[in-house]
Amino acid sequence: MYKKAQKVVVVLLLGLLATAFMAGCSGKSENSEVKLDEGLETIRVAKQFGLVYAPLMVAEKKDFFSKYGLNVQWKTLGSGGAVREAMAANELDAAFMGIPPFLIGCDKGVEAKIAAGYTVSPVSLVTYDPLIKSVKDFKPEHKIALPSPGSIQHILLAMELEKVMGDPNALDDNLVALPHPDGAQAMLSKKDIVAHFTTPPYLFEELSKPGYHMVLDGFDAFGGDFNFNVALVTQQYHDNNPKGYAAFVMGLNDVMNWVNENKEETAEILAPEFKIEKEKLLEYLESDGMNYTTAPYGIMGFANFMKESGYISKIPEDLQDIAWENVLAQIGKREGKPSTMEKIQWAK
Amino acid sequence: MRRLFSKVFFILTVACIWEAVKAIGGYSDLLLPGVMSILRSLWLERIQIFHMTLFSLQIIGIGLLVAIVLAICATILAFSGRIFSEIITDVLAILHPLPGIAILPIAILWFGIGTKSILFVIIFSAVWPLINHFYTGFRSIPANQLEVGRNLGLSGLKLGRDIMLPASFPHILGGIRTGWARAWQASVAAELVFGAAGGNGGLGWFLYKKRFMMETPGVFAGMLVIVLIGIAVEYIVFTWVEINTVRKWKTIIN
Repeated sequence: MYKKAQKVVVVLLLGLLATAFMAGCSGKSENSEVKLDEGLETIRVAKQFGLVYAPLMVAEKKDFFSKYGLNVQWKTLGSGGAVREAMAANELDAAFMGIPPFLIGCDKGVEAKIAAGYTVSPVSLVTYDPLIKSVKDFKPEHKIALPSPGSIQHILLAMELEKVMGDPNALDDNLVALPHPDGAQAMLSKKDIVAHFTTPPYLFEELSKPGYHMVLDGFDAFGGDFNFNVALVTQQYHDNNPKGYAAFVMGLNDVMNWVNENKEETAEILAPEFKIEKEKLLEYLESDGMNYTTAPYGIMGFANFMKESGYISKIPEDLQDIAWENVLAQIGKREGKPSTMEKIQWAK
Repeated sequence: MRRLFSKVFFILTVACIWEAVKAIGGYSDLLLPGVMSILRSLWLERIQIFHMTLFSLQIIGIGLLVAIVLAICATILAFSGRIFSEIITDVLAILHPLPGIAILPIAILWFGIGTKSILFVIIFSAVWPLINHFYTGFRSIPANQLEVGRNLGLSGLKLGRDIMLPASFPHILGGIRTGWARAWQASVAAELVFGAAGGNGGLGWFLYKKRFMMETPGVFAGMLVIVLIGIAVEYIVFTWVEINTVRKWKTIIN
């Protein structure tokens, strides 16, 4: 009796398995139909949310890549960590992230290099506590929000701490990892955190409130300009799709230039996306320090410090280890003393 | 001895399969770290892992204790009137399927981004299975056992201690087991999502940090510790309680 019941259960489960299998197969065949874009190169690109992604959002809205024969599949991912993991898993061909997270990824074996600089943007540590004037004034109970460990904000803070207090990890126990919007919300309600290391538009929003002031300017901590993000393309895509790669870089340049020439129209297109008024968005786009550029700035500057502080195990030997040929050509290689363009890739 | 041997054998087999998959697939340490690099990471981070484990255990302990007290109160309420019993059954049906982590955004709004939020999520995750098991446990006491007890002249507290508690204890124990598992899941999940607050963090925060540094061996090391604690609690605490209660009383078969 018991044996018979067992057999019935097995048959039943096998039937279920077969049904699930068939459902899985039919799902797959539907998916493959989408990809039939004849003659176009395809690239899978991750984007995130924030003012710095404005050119990418314009590129998507106004379709800047198709005239170069490139079909972009935009993927929206929640965090920089997820973007890097998707790259490692070969789910993405291109992505945008800060230089420090990229260096960490490089160090851990993610095979991608810089295809373009992507904007220069203010990034600063803000507080509402009038007693905090420098990073030395933080007490153990003061919580500082930043997006994640290993983010550009974290490394900039560590660089400043190394300079001022001789210990890059002096405030590690004060850190809270919060996405920018959550951090801004906590800051404005003066709840839980006293300081926030953030970027526009959250930075501008916080600084525009009375009593909120800047503790640390990212450019000061770094000692010069640096790309807030860099555009990365994987080794695999770069080597196997030279046309797609060229189209991606050209489209990026095109849209970046368009945004610089048409800030007002950019604000008009993106105001509904950011859910703020057009005028306010224009003000943010035109605010001091924002530079919509694809030129490389300070792309080697974080490496030394990150090696010394143990965030990465080895320093890239040469720019060639972290950047593709179009970026290398932009920087150039002056005989004799290094050129201006070469000098600004390192931090002071 | 044989059981110990079979367990060691099992672990070694898993380690061998693991290494074989890594070797055959040609995976890098980033995608699938080797057993040795996981153990090395565990050793290098032992002090931090120890502190974070203590923190996790402490917060889960508090959360579970509060959840048990709440569940006992709710069960008492459910047995003190038909209306309460119906209300609690309805509330259970609504809230039990809701994953604890789903209320994290609300928890952050109400309690901020500190330990309080994580505690709230833990309590929320553990309390519903606890109530469910407690309630079912006392409901499913066989009527004939109660009658026998009464015929033997037991009543009141004595009836509760000698008949009702042993009869419902398998359910109570099951509830605490589920509650413990849910509390662990909730604490790790909550810290993974919003990253805990500064120096105070448990193993979820450890995983979070390792993830953002792309130290996959560290991520696996953290998971290993979570698994080991789960096994330790299961085999040491719960098995001990089981042997000394329901098995001794013979309410469940060996």
